[in-house]
Amino acid sequence: MALDRRRFLMGAGLAGLALRAPLLFAGPSSGPESSAITRKIPGTDEAIPAIGMGTWITFNVGGDAALIGQRTEVLKTFFELGGTVVDGSPMYGSASDVVGEALVSLNARDRVFAATKIWTSDESATQQEAERSLKRWNVDQFDLLQVHNLRGWQGHLESLRAMKQNGEVRYIGITTSHGRRHREFAQIMEREPIDFVQLTYNVLDREAETRLLPLAREKGIAVIVNRPFQGGSLFRRFQSRPLPVWAGEAGVSNWAEFFLKYIISHPAVTCAIPATTKVEHMKENMGALYGELPDPEQRRRMADYVRSL
Amino acid sequence: MSGADWLSYSLQDFVMFGPQVFLRLFVRINQDFWPWPLLAVLASFAVPLLLLDNRPATRRIALGLIAAAWMTSGYGFLVGYFGPINWPAAGFGWAFVAQGVVLGLIALAGAPRSLQARNRVLAVVWALAVVGLPWLTVAESGNWRALALFGLAPGSTAAASMLIVGLLPGIWRWLYLALPLAWGLFSAATFWTLQTWWLLGLPVATLILVGLGFWLSPSRAQSPG
Repeated sequence: MALDRRRFLMGAGLAGLALRAPLLFAGPSSGPESSAITRKIPGTDEAIPAIGMGTWITFNVGGDAALIGQRTEVLKTFFELGGTVVDGSPMYGSASDVVGEALVSLNARDRVFAATKIWTSDESATQQEAERSLKRWNVDQFDLLQVHNLRGWQGHLESLRAMKQNGEVRYIGITTSHGRRHREFAQIMEREPIDFVQLTYNVLDREAETRLLPLAREKGIAVIVNRPFQGGSLFRRFQSRPLPVWAGEAGVSNWAEFFLKYIISHPAVTCAIPATTKVEHMKENMGALYGELPDPEQRRRMADYVRSL
Repeated sequence: MSGADWLSYSLQDFVMFGPQVFLRLFVRINQDFWPWPLLAVLASFAVPLLLLDNRPATRRIALGLIAAAWMTSGYGFLVGYFGPINWPAAGFGWAFVAQGVVLGLIALAGAPRSLQARNRVLAVVWALAVVGLPWLTVAESGNWRALALFGLAPGSTAAASMLIVGLLPGIWRWLYLALPLAWGLFSAATFWTLQTWWLLGLPVATLILVGLGFWLSPSRAQSPG
Protein backbone atom coordinates (compact mmCIF):
# COMPACT_ATOMS: atom_id res chain seq x y z
CA MET A 1 0.00 0.00 0.00
CA ALA A 2 2.84 2.36 0.83
CA LEU A 3 4.26 1.92 -2.64
CA ASP A 4 0.97 2.65 -4.30
CA ARG A 5 0.47 5.74 -2.21
CA ARG A 6 3.90 7.02 -3.04
CA ARG A 7 3.42 6.38 -6.74
CA PHE A 8 0.04 8.01 -6.64
CA LEU A 9 1.44 11.07 -4.93
CA MET A 10 4.30 11.36 -7.38
CA GLY A 11 2.00 11.00 -10.35
CA ALA A 12 -0.43 13.50 -8.88
CA GLY A 13 2.44 15.85 -8.19
CA LEU A 14 3.67 15.70 -11.74
CA ALA A 15 0.18 16.15 -13.16
CA GLY A 16 -0.43 19.08 -10.86
CA LEU A 17 2.89 20.54 -11.79
CA ALA A 18 2.04 20.43 -15.46
CA LEU A 19 -1.07 22.48 -14.74
CA ARG A 20 0.72 24.90 -12.46
CA ALA A 21 3.89 25.25 -14.49
CA PRO A 22 3.07 28.69 -15.94
CA LEU A 23 2.62 30.07 -12.44
CA LEU A 24 5.43 28.23 -10.77
CA PHE A 25 7.98 28.67 -13.42
CA ALA A 26 8.59 32.10 -14.78
CA GLY A 27 12.02 31.18 -16.09
CA PRO A 28 13.28 32.70 -19.29
CA SER A 29 13.11 29.60 -21.43
CA SER A 30 9.80 28.14 -20.38
CA GLY A 31 6.83 28.76 -22.50
CA PRO A 32 3.47 29.18 -20.86
CA GLU A 33 2.43 25.71 -21.94
CA SER A 34 5.58 23.97 -20.83
CA SER A 35 5.36 20.97 -18.56
CA ALA A 36 8.10 19.18 -16.70
CA ILE A 37 10.31 16.86 -18.72
CA THR A 38 10.05 13.39 -17.25
CA ARG A 39 11.65 10.06 -18.05
CA LYS A 40 10.23 6.62 -17.50
CA ILE A 41 12.15 4.21 -15.36
CA PRO A 42 12.74 1.36 -17.83
CA GLY A 43 10.50 -1.65 -17.29
CA THR A 44 7.97 0.36 -15.27
CA ASP A 45 5.20 2.87 -15.84
CA GLU A 46 6.75 5.24 -13.38
CA ALA A 47 8.16 8.52 -14.65
CA ILE A 48 10.49 10.82 -12.73
CA PRO A 49 11.50 14.42 -13.46
CA ALA A 50 14.66 14.56 -15.56
CA ILE A 51 16.34 17.01 -13.20
CA GLY A 52 17.02 15.88 -9.65
CA MET A 53 19.26 17.19 -6.90
CA GLY A 54 22.60 15.99 -5.57
CA THR A 55 23.79 16.74 -2.04
CA TRP A 56 27.58 16.16 -2.21
CA ILE A 57 29.29 19.05 -0.40
CA THR A 58 26.28 21.36 -0.70
CA PHE A 59 24.14 19.85 2.08
CA ASN A 60 27.01 18.96 4.41
CA VAL A 61 26.60 21.92 6.76
CA GLY A 62 26.77 20.13 10.12
CA GLY A 63 24.67 21.62 12.89
CA ASP A 64 24.71 25.14 11.45
CA ALA A 65 21.10 26.23 12.00
CA ALA A 66 21.38 29.21 9.65
CA LEU A 67 22.75 27.11 6.80
CA ILE A 68 20.26 24.29 7.44
CA GLY A 69 17.49 26.86 7.05
CA GLN A 70 19.06 28.18 3.86
CA ARG A 71 19.48 24.69 2.38
CA THR A 72 15.86 23.98 3.31
CA GLU A 73 14.92 26.93 1.09
CA VAL A 74 16.96 25.40 -1.73
CA LEU A 75 15.09 22.10 -1.33
CA LYS A 76 11.77 23.92 -1.12
CA THR A 77 12.51 25.69 -4.41
CA PHE A 78 13.48 22.35 -5.94
CA PHE A 79 10.13 20.81 -4.99
CA GLU A 80 8.16 23.88 -6.05
CA LEU A 81 9.74 23.78 -9.49
CA GLY A 82 8.87 20.14 -10.02
CA GLY A 83 11.84 18.19 -8.66
CA THR A 84 11.47 14.92 -6.76
CA VAL A 85 14.73 12.95 -7.03
CA VAL A 86 17.20 13.73 -4.20
CA ASP A 87 20.42 11.75 -4.06
CA GLY A 88 22.76 11.36 -1.10
CA SER A 89 25.23 9.04 0.56
CA PRO A 90 26.39 8.25 4.09
CA MET A 91 29.79 9.36 2.83
CA TYR A 92 28.65 12.98 2.53
CA GLY A 93 29.14 13.93 6.17
CA SER A 94 26.02 15.47 7.66
CA ALA A 95 24.19 15.85 4.32
CA SER A 96 21.73 13.02 5.07
CA ASP A 97 20.78 14.59 8.41
CA VAL A 98 20.31 18.00 6.80
CA VAL A 99 18.12 16.56 4.05
CA GLY A 100 16.12 14.70 6.68
CA GLU A 101 15.61 17.83 8.76
CA ALA A 102 14.61 19.81 5.67
CA LEU A 103 12.13 17.14 4.56
CA VAL A 104 10.44 17.28 7.95
CA SER A 105 10.26 21.06 8.09
CA LEU A 106 8.89 21.15 4.51
CA ASN A 107 6.51 18.30 5.29
CA ALA A 108 7.82 16.76 2.08
CA ARG A 109 8.67 13.20 3.06
CA ASP A 110 6.05 11.86 0.65
CA ARG A 111 7.12 14.15 -2.19
CA VAL A 112 10.71 13.03 -2.44
CA PHE A 113 12.12 10.24 -4.56
CA ALA A 114 14.70 9.31 -1.94
CA ALA A 115 17.93 7.88 -3.31
CA THR A 116 20.95 7.09 -1.20
CA LYS A 117 23.87 4.72 -1.23
CA ILE A 118 25.40 1.88 0.68
CA TRP A 119 28.91 2.97 1.59
CA THR A 120 30.71 0.41 3.66
CA SER A 121 33.29 -2.25 2.89
CA ASP A 122 31.45 -4.62 5.28
CA GLU A 123 29.37 -6.55 2.77
CA SER A 124 27.19 -8.02 5.51
CA ALA A 125 26.13 -4.59 6.80
CA THR A 126 23.86 -3.56 3.91
CA GLN A 127 20.63 -3.63 5.87
CA GLN A 128 22.08 -1.87 8.93
CA GLU A 129 23.52 0.88 6.74
CA ALA A 130 20.17 1.34 5.00
CA GLU A 131 18.35 1.49 8.35
CA ARG A 132 20.77 4.11 9.67
CA SER A 133 20.16 6.18 6.54
CA LEU A 134 16.38 5.85 6.90
CA LYS A 135 16.60 7.43 10.35
CA ARG A 136 18.84 10.21 9.10
CA TRP A 137 16.58 11.00 6.13
CA ASN A 138 13.39 10.75 8.23
CA VAL A 139 11.71 8.65 5.54
CA ASP A 140 9.89 5.34 5.84
CA GLN A 141 11.46 3.78 2.78
CA PHE A 142 14.08 4.53 0.17
CA ASP A 143 13.01 4.58 -3.45
CA LEU A 144 16.52 3.74 -4.57
CA LEU A 145 19.52 2.20 -2.84
CA GLN A 146 22.81 2.16 -4.73
CA VAL A 147 26.17 0.58 -4.03
CA HIS A 148 28.50 3.57 -3.71
CA ASN A 149 31.44 3.46 -6.13
CA LEU A 150 31.16 -0.35 -6.32
CA ARG A 151 32.46 -0.65 -2.74
CA GLY A 152 31.79 -4.24 -1.68
CA TRP A 153 29.29 -4.56 -4.51
CA GLN A 154 28.93 -8.34 -4.58
CA GLY A 155 27.65 -8.71 -1.04
CA HIS A 156 25.67 -5.49 -1.09
CA LEU A 157 23.87 -6.25 -4.35
CA GLU A 158 22.86 -9.66 -3.06
CA SER A 159 21.41 -8.08 0.08
CA LEU A 160 19.76 -5.28 -1.88
CA ARG A 161 18.04 -7.81 -4.15
CA ALA A 162 16.63 -9.52 -1.07
CA MET A 163 15.52 -6.17 0.37
CA LYS A 164 13.79 -5.33 -2.91
CA GLN A 165 11.99 -8.67 -2.92
CA ASN A 166 10.82 -8.00 0.62
CA GLY A 167 9.50 -4.59 -0.37
CA GLU A 168 12.06 -2.73 1.74
CA VAL A 169 13.33 -0.73 -1.24
CA ARG A 170 11.79 -0.08 -4.63
CA TYR A 171 14.85 0.09 -6.88
CA ILE A 172 18.50 -0.91 -6.58
CA GLY A 173 21.61 0.14 -8.43
CA ILE A 174 25.31 0.89 -8.52
CA THR A 175 27.30 4.11 -8.84
CA THR A 176 30.60 5.38 -10.08
CA SER A 177 32.00 8.84 -10.69
CA HIS A 178 34.83 10.60 -12.49
CA GLY A 179 34.93 7.79 -15.08
CA ARG A 180 36.34 5.23 -12.63
CA ARG A 181 36.13 1.45 -13.08
CA HIS A 182 33.96 1.63 -16.18
CA ARG A 183 35.00 -1.84 -17.34
CA GLU A 184 33.88 -3.51 -14.12
CA PHE A 185 30.83 -1.27 -14.05
CA ALA A 186 29.82 -2.49 -17.52
CA GLN A 187 30.32 -6.11 -16.50
CA ILE A 188 27.94 -5.65 -13.59
CA MET A 189 25.39 -3.98 -15.84
CA GLU A 190 25.59 -6.94 -18.21
CA ARG A 191 25.29 -9.65 -15.57
CA GLU A 192 23.32 -8.32 -12.61
CA PRO A 193 19.62 -7.46 -12.46
CA ILE A 194 19.79 -3.79 -11.43
CA ASP A 195 17.33 -0.96 -11.97
CA PHE A 196 19.60 2.09 -11.90
CA VAL A 197 23.17 3.09 -12.58
CA GLN A 198 24.71 6.40 -11.59
CA LEU A 199 27.71 7.71 -13.48
CA THR A 200 29.52 10.88 -14.48
CA TYR A 201 28.53 12.43 -17.78
CA ASN A 202 28.66 16.01 -19.02
CA VAL A 203 29.43 18.00 -22.12
CA LEU A 204 33.18 17.50 -21.57
CA ASP A 205 33.30 14.09 -19.82
CA ARG A 206 31.69 11.97 -22.51
CA GLU A 207 33.35 8.58 -22.02
CA ALA A 208 30.00 7.10 -20.95
CA GLU A 209 28.64 7.66 -24.47
CA THR A 210 30.81 4.94 -25.94
CA ARG A 211 29.85 1.99 -23.74
CA LEU A 212 27.82 2.60 -20.58
CA LEU A 213 24.95 4.68 -21.95
CA PRO A 214 24.27 2.38 -24.94
CA LEU A 215 24.50 -0.60 -22.58
CA ALA A 216 21.99 0.97 -20.20
CA ARG A 217 19.51 1.37 -23.07
CA GLU A 218 20.11 -2.18 -24.24
CA LYS A 219 19.63 -3.64 -20.76
CA GLY A 220 16.75 -1.37 -19.74
CA ILE A 221 18.58 0.31 -16.87
CA ALA A 222 17.75 3.82 -15.70
CA VAL A 223 20.68 6.26 -15.65
CA ILE A 224 21.31 8.99 -13.07
CA VAL A 225 24.04 11.42 -14.07
CA ASN A 226 26.31 12.93 -11.43
CA ARG A 227 28.77 15.81 -11.78
CA PRO A 228 26.75 17.42 -14.60
CA PHE A 229 28.72 20.66 -14.11
CA GLN A 230 32.02 18.82 -13.55
CA GLY A 231 32.01 19.92 -9.92
CA GLY A 232 31.32 23.53 -10.96
CA SER A 233 34.35 23.80 -13.21
CA LEU A 234 32.18 24.09 -16.34
CA PHE A 235 30.81 27.37 -15.00
CA ARG A 236 34.24 28.61 -14.02
CA ARG A 237 35.50 27.89 -17.52
CA PHE A 238 32.60 28.96 -19.68
CA GLN A 239 30.08 31.21 -17.99
CA SER A 240 31.97 34.38 -18.93
CA ARG A 241 31.67 33.30 -22.58
CA PRO A 242 28.56 33.93 -24.68
CA LEU A 243 26.05 31.21 -25.39
CA PRO A 244 25.92 30.28 -29.07
CA VAL A 245 23.49 32.40 -31.08
CA TRP A 246 21.46 29.29 -31.85
CA ALA A 247 21.06 28.33 -28.15
CA GLY A 248 17.42 29.42 -28.10
CA GLU A 249 16.60 26.92 -30.85
CA ALA A 250 17.90 24.16 -28.56
CA GLY A 251 15.67 25.36 -25.70
CA VAL A 252 18.59 26.91 -23.84
CA SER A 253 18.67 30.36 -22.23
CA ASN A 254 21.62 30.13 -19.82
CA TRP A 255 24.69 27.98 -19.20
CA ALA A 256 23.00 25.84 -16.55
CA GLU A 257 20.33 24.85 -19.06
CA PHE A 258 23.01 24.36 -21.73
CA PHE A 259 24.94 21.85 -19.60
CA LEU A 260 21.87 20.07 -18.21
CA LYS A 261 19.87 19.86 -21.41
CA TYR A 262 22.87 18.42 -23.17
CA ILE A 263 22.80 15.59 -20.63
CA ILE A 264 19.09 14.86 -20.34
CA SER A 265 18.61 14.96 -24.10
CA HIS A 266 20.69 11.81 -24.38
CA PRO A 267 18.11 9.06 -24.88
CA ALA A 268 19.66 6.76 -22.27
CA VAL A 269 19.67 9.35 -19.48
CA THR A 270 16.85 9.27 -16.95
CA CYS A 271 17.85 12.06 -14.60
CA ALA A 272 20.71 14.48 -13.92
CA ILE A 273 21.45 15.52 -10.34
CA PRO A 274 23.12 18.94 -10.14
CA ALA A 275 23.95 20.23 -6.65
CA THR A 276 23.80 23.80 -5.47
CA THR A 277 23.78 25.89 -2.29
CA LYS A 278 21.82 28.80 -3.74
CA VAL A 279 18.13 29.26 -4.44
CA GLU A 280 18.90 31.33 -7.55
CA HIS A 281 21.10 28.59 -8.96
CA MET A 282 18.42 26.01 -8.17
CA LYS A 283 15.96 28.06 -10.23
CA GLU A 284 18.41 28.12 -13.11
CA ASN A 285 18.99 24.38 -12.84
CA MET A 286 15.28 23.65 -12.78
CA GLY A 287 14.88 25.72 -15.93
CA ALA A 288 16.33 22.71 -17.73
CA LEU A 289 13.27 20.71 -16.67
CA TYR A 290 11.08 22.72 -19.04
CA GLY A 291 10.89 23.71 -22.66
CA GLU A 292 12.48 22.19 -25.73
CA LEU A 293 15.35 19.76 -25.68
CA PRO A 294 18.17 19.79 -28.23
CA ASP A 295 17.94 17.25 -31.03
CA PRO A 296 20.89 15.01 -31.97
CA GLU A 297 22.29 17.55 -34.43
CA GLN A 298 21.99 20.34 -31.88
CA ARG A 299 23.70 18.15 -29.26
CA ARG A 300 26.61 17.67 -31.63
CA ARG A 301 26.82 21.44 -32.14
CA MET A 302 26.71 21.99 -28.36
CA ALA A 303 29.66 19.68 -27.79
CA ASP A 304 31.57 21.27 -30.69
CA TYR A 305 30.85 24.76 -29.41
CA VAL A 306 32.16 24.03 -25.91
CA ARG A 307 35.28 22.42 -27.36
CA SER A 308 35.84 25.51 -29.51
CA LEU A 309 35.88 27.90 -26.55
CA MET B 1 40.01 -0.77 -4.55
CA SER B 2 43.19 -1.09 -6.57
CA GLY B 3 46.15 1.25 -6.40
CA ALA B 4 45.24 2.66 -9.79
CA ASP B 5 41.77 3.49 -8.49
CA TRP B 6 43.20 5.36 -5.53
CA LEU B 7 45.45 7.30 -7.86
CA SER B 8 42.40 8.43 -9.81
CA TYR B 9 41.15 10.33 -6.75
CA SER B 10 42.11 13.93 -6.20
CA LEU B 11 42.28 15.94 -2.97
CA GLN B 12 38.92 17.44 -3.90
CA ASP B 13 37.30 14.02 -3.60
CA PHE B 14 38.17 13.89 0.09
CA VAL B 15 37.03 17.40 1.03
CA MET B 16 33.28 17.08 1.33
CA PHE B 17 32.40 20.57 2.51
CA GLY B 18 32.67 24.07 1.13
CA PRO B 19 34.70 27.06 2.38
CA GLN B 20 31.58 28.89 3.58
CA VAL B 21 30.60 26.02 5.88
CA PHE B 22 34.15 25.67 7.21
CA LEU B 23 34.64 29.38 7.93
CA ARG B 24 31.30 29.56 9.69
CA LEU B 25 32.57 26.98 12.19
CA PHE B 26 34.73 29.73 13.73
CA VAL B 27 31.80 32.15 13.87
CA ARG B 28 29.58 29.51 15.43
CA ILE B 29 31.99 28.37 18.13
CA ASN B 30 32.72 31.99 19.13
CA GLN B 31 28.99 32.75 19.31
CA ASP B 32 27.91 29.51 20.96
CA PHE B 33 30.48 29.74 23.75
CA TRP B 34 30.29 33.49 24.34
CA PRO B 35 31.61 34.93 26.68
CA TRP B 36 34.11 32.07 27.18
CA PRO B 37 36.20 33.18 24.16
CA LEU B 38 37.19 36.17 26.31
CA LEU B 39 38.65 33.73 28.82
CA ALA B 40 40.59 32.06 25.99
CA VAL B 41 42.05 35.44 25.03
CA LEU B 42 43.04 36.12 28.62
CA ALA B 43 44.62 32.68 28.92
CA SER B 44 46.55 33.14 25.69
CA PHE B 45 48.14 36.33 27.08
CA ALA B 46 48.69 34.81 30.50
CA VAL B 47 50.91 32.04 29.09
CA PRO B 48 53.94 34.20 28.17
CA LEU B 49 53.62 36.24 31.37
CA LEU B 50 53.68 33.06 33.42
CA LEU B 51 56.63 31.70 31.46
CA LEU B 52 58.56 34.90 32.15
CA ASP B 53 58.33 34.13 35.84
CA ASN B 54 61.27 32.13 37.14
CA ARG B 55 59.22 30.30 39.76
CA PRO B 56 58.62 26.67 38.70
CA ALA B 57 55.01 26.72 39.87
CA THR B 58 53.98 29.54 37.55
CA ARG B 59 55.72 27.91 34.59
CA ARG B 60 53.79 24.74 35.36
CA ILE B 61 50.57 26.72 35.29
CA ALA B 62 51.58 28.08 31.86
CA LEU B 63 52.11 24.55 30.60
CA GLY B 64 48.76 23.59 32.13
CA LEU B 65 47.01 26.39 30.23
CA ILE B 66 48.56 25.22 26.97
CA ALA B 67 47.46 21.66 27.79
CA ALA B 68 43.92 22.91 28.38
CA ALA B 69 44.02 24.79 25.07
CA TRP B 70 44.87 21.56 23.22
CA MET B 71 41.97 19.80 24.91
CA THR B 72 39.36 22.52 24.42
CA SER B 73 40.25 23.16 20.77
CA GLY B 74 40.36 19.40 20.13
CA TYR B 75 37.13 18.46 21.83
CA GLY B 76 35.25 21.70 21.22
CA PHE B 77 36.16 22.65 17.67
CA LEU B 78 37.37 19.42 16.07
CA VAL B 79 35.09 16.84 17.67
CA GLY B 80 32.07 19.05 18.24
CA TYR B 81 32.00 21.31 15.21
CA PHE B 82 34.36 20.13 12.48
CA GLY B 83 33.85 16.37 12.95
CA PRO B 84 30.21 16.30 11.80
CA ILE B 85 31.16 17.67 8.37
CA ASN B 86 34.53 15.98 8.02
CA TRP B 87 35.00 12.64 9.79
CA PRO B 88 38.84 12.66 9.95
CA ALA B 89 38.62 15.88 11.97
CA ALA B 90 36.99 14.04 14.86
CA GLY B 91 39.98 11.67 14.99
CA PHE B 92 42.33 14.63 15.07
CA GLY B 93 40.15 16.12 17.81
CA TRP B 94 40.66 13.14 20.10
CA ALA B 95 44.39 13.23 19.31
CA PHE B 96 44.41 16.90 20.38
CA VAL B 97 42.72 15.89 23.64
CA ALA B 98 45.36 13.17 24.19
CA GLN B 99 48.12 15.69 23.44
CA GLY B 100 46.63 18.00 26.07
CA VAL B 101 46.44 15.19 28.62
CA VAL B 102 50.08 14.24 28.07
CA LEU B 103 51.16 17.89 28.29
CA GLY B 104 49.16 18.23 31.50
CA LEU B 105 50.90 15.18 32.95
CA ILE B 106 54.28 16.65 32.01
CA ALA B 107 53.27 19.84 33.81
CA LEU B 108 52.29 17.84 36.88
CA ALA B 109 55.55 15.90 36.80
CA GLY B 110 57.75 18.99 36.79
CA ALA B 111 58.16 22.56 35.65
CA PRO B 112 59.22 23.30 32.08
CA ARG B 113 62.73 24.57 31.70
CA SER B 114 63.34 28.28 31.84
CA LEU B 115 64.58 30.06 28.75
CA GLN B 116 66.26 32.66 30.89
CA ALA B 117 67.78 35.25 28.57
CA ARG B 118 65.43 34.38 25.74
CA ASN B 119 62.27 34.36 27.79
CA ARG B 120 61.39 37.82 26.59
CA VAL B 121 61.84 36.86 22.95
CA LEU B 122 59.48 33.93 23.44
CA ALA B 123 56.95 36.19 25.16
CA VAL B 124 56.99 38.69 22.31
CA VAL B 125 56.75 36.03 19.59
CA TRP B 126 53.96 34.27 21.51
CA ALA B 127 52.03 37.52 21.82
CA LEU B 128 52.47 38.23 18.11
CA ALA B 129 51.25 34.72 17.27
CA VAL B 130 48.10 34.77 19.41
CA VAL B 131 47.28 38.30 18.24
CA GLY B 132 48.04 37.80 14.56
CA LEU B 133 47.03 34.22 13.68
CA PRO B 134 43.32 34.57 14.64
CA TRP B 135 42.90 37.19 11.92
CA LEU B 136 43.73 34.80 9.08
CA THR B 137 40.21 33.36 9.23
CA VAL B 138 38.84 36.91 9.39
CA ALA B 139 40.82 37.88 6.31
CA GLU B 140 39.52 34.81 4.49
CA SER B 141 35.87 35.16 5.50
CA GLY B 142 35.53 38.93 5.74
CA ASN B 143 33.77 38.42 9.07
CA TRP B 144 35.53 39.56 12.25
CA ARG B 145 33.42 37.14 14.28
CA ALA B 146 35.36 34.31 12.62
CA LEU B 147 38.43 34.98 14.80
CA ALA B 148 40.41 31.75 15.22
CA LEU B 149 41.29 32.16 18.88
CA PHE B 150 44.02 30.29 20.74
CA GLY B 151 42.35 27.62 22.86
CA LEU B 152 39.31 27.38 20.60
CA ALA B 153 40.69 27.07 17.07
CA PRO B 154 43.06 24.15 16.47
CA GLY B 155 45.30 25.91 13.93
CA SER B 156 46.13 28.88 16.15
CA THR B 157 46.51 26.62 19.18
CA ALA B 158 48.86 24.18 17.46
CA ALA B 159 50.96 26.97 15.89
CA ALA B 160 51.45 29.08 19.03
CA SER B 161 52.06 26.00 21.17
CA MET B 162 55.09 25.11 19.07
CA LEU B 163 57.03 27.88 20.74
CA ILE B 164 57.37 25.84 23.92
CA VAL B 165 58.77 22.75 22.22
CA GLY B 166 62.23 23.58 23.47
CA LEU B 167 61.01 23.71 27.07
CA LEU B 168 59.89 20.09 27.11
CA PRO B 169 62.13 17.39 28.52
CA GLY B 170 64.04 14.89 26.34
CA ILE B 171 62.03 12.64 24.08
CA TRP B 172 58.78 14.48 24.86
CA ARG B 173 59.68 17.40 22.66
CA TRP B 174 59.88 15.11 19.63
CA LEU B 175 56.66 13.30 20.49
CA TYR B 176 55.03 16.70 21.00
CA LEU B 177 55.81 17.60 17.37
CA ALA B 178 54.15 14.63 15.70
CA LEU B 179 50.53 15.76 16.02
CA PRO B 180 50.97 19.43 15.06
CA LEU B 181 52.98 18.42 12.00
CA ALA B 182 50.34 15.86 10.97
CA TRP B 183 47.61 18.41 11.60
CA GLY B 184 49.55 21.03 9.64
CA LEU B 185 49.83 18.70 6.67
CA PHE B 186 46.15 17.75 6.84
CA SER B 187 44.96 21.33 7.17
CA ALA B 188 47.31 22.57 4.44
CA ALA B 189 45.85 19.98 2.04
CA THR B 190 42.34 21.00 3.10
CA PHE B 191 42.94 24.73 2.69
CA TRP B 192 44.67 24.20 -0.65
CA THR B 193 41.67 22.22 -1.92
CA LEU B 194 39.20 24.79 -0.59
CA GLN B 195 41.35 27.53 -2.15
CA THR B 196 41.25 29.43 1.14
CA TRP B 197 44.70 30.93 0.62
CA TRP B 198 44.82 33.09 3.77
CA LEU B 199 44.33 29.99 5.91
CA LEU B 200 47.49 28.42 4.53
CA GLY B 201 49.20 30.89 6.84
CA LEU B 202 48.29 28.62 9.78
CA PRO B 203 50.30 25.52 8.77
CA VAL B 204 53.10 27.76 7.48
CA ALA B 205 53.17 29.58 10.84
CA THR B 206 53.24 26.21 12.62
CA LEU B 207 56.43 25.25 10.77
CA ILE B 208 58.06 28.63 11.40
CA LEU B 209 57.18 28.50 15.09
CA VAL B 210 58.58 24.97 15.38
CA GLY B 211 61.89 26.39 14.13
CA LEU B 212 61.68 29.30 16.53
CA GLY B 213 60.76 26.93 19.37
CA PHE B 214 63.98 24.99 18.85
CA TRP B 215 66.00 28.14 18.36
CA LEU B 216 64.72 29.36 21.71
CA SER B 217 65.47 26.08 23.47
CA PRO B 218 67.45 26.38 26.75
CA SER B 219 70.44 24.39 25.53
CA ARG B 220 70.96 26.89 22.77
CA ALA B 221 70.10 29.91 24.85
CA GLN B 222 72.57 28.84 27.48
CA SER B 223 75.35 27.86 25.13
CA PRO B 224 78.37 30.15 25.25
CA GLY B 225 78.91 32.59 22.50
